[in-house]
Amino acid sequence: MKAPPESTASFEAEALPHLDTLYRVALRFAGDHARAEDLVQDTMLKAFRAWKTYTQGTNARAWLLTILRNTFINEYRKESRQPTAVALDAVDPLAIYRAVGHTDPEGRFFDRIIDDRVWAAIDALPEDFREVIVLSDVEGMAYGDIARMVGVPLGTVKSRLFRARRQLQGALYEHAVEMGYIRAQEAR
Amino acid sequence: MSSDMDCNEAVEALHEFLRQECTPELAQQIKQHLEDCRPCLGHAQFEKSYLAMLESMAGTQGCPDSVRSQILDALRKAAEPPPSGD
Repeated sequence: MKAPPESTASFEAEALPHLDTLYRVALRFAGDHARAEDLVQDTMLKAFRAWKTYTQGTNARAWLLTILRNTFINEYRKESRQPTAVALDAVDPLAIYRAVGHTDPEGRFFDRIIDDRVWAAIDALPEDFREVIVLSDVEGMAYGDIARMVGVPLGTVKSRLFRARRQLQGALYEHAVEMGYIRAQEAR
Repeated sequence: MSSDMDCNEAVEALHEFLRQECTPELAQQIKQHLEDCRPCLGHAQFEKSYLAMLESMAGTQGCPDSVRSQILDALRKAAEPPPSGD
């Protein structure tokens, strides 16, 4: 069945601007460029075929990301879902800030860390954490859209984000100490 | 000291506040707390730096041009009518 040309045009106009986001998120899910490329292409073709089910004027990016996520889970993920690591749960929420508070209270060290190291730290997070960090803190998605996309209550998104940020900040802090961007505090 | 929010509550809601994800009432409470509490104001600045850095990461990676044109080709092909035997 031939898609009418105007639907091709409207799909391209609405979906293509989100390719960068789709690719970044695909890379976090899939882990390497080759698989990310396939995942984005599969996502776009599926989205194109389903374009008539998209309600114009709603959030096209969230719609596309949901297709990408479902495609990844159903067709790309090899292993069964890993349990979320909760190793840092015992850590006081103030710990990282307290650790740097004296030497770098404004968190300038974050900007000194090179991009590749930040991506590596994000990619090292457990999947449940990595997903919410990327959608919320990198891509700027609203918490409510993330909750709908991931299929969990809003409160779960918030608590995952809280723990994920703590874990990511901890990893970035350790890297910054290692690189000498900040001095380690004796009392952590 | 008119804020009835304690530091732990303020810290827990800090990201929601910075991401403008909390209710106006909660935002007002946090704002008040930050005005009254220097350590929490400092913490807010720290979290702001974290959020700004992560937000800026989006600009460091994107869909390669080769992948983009590959996808465009695939889409155009998908939009074509299937070859019929007429």
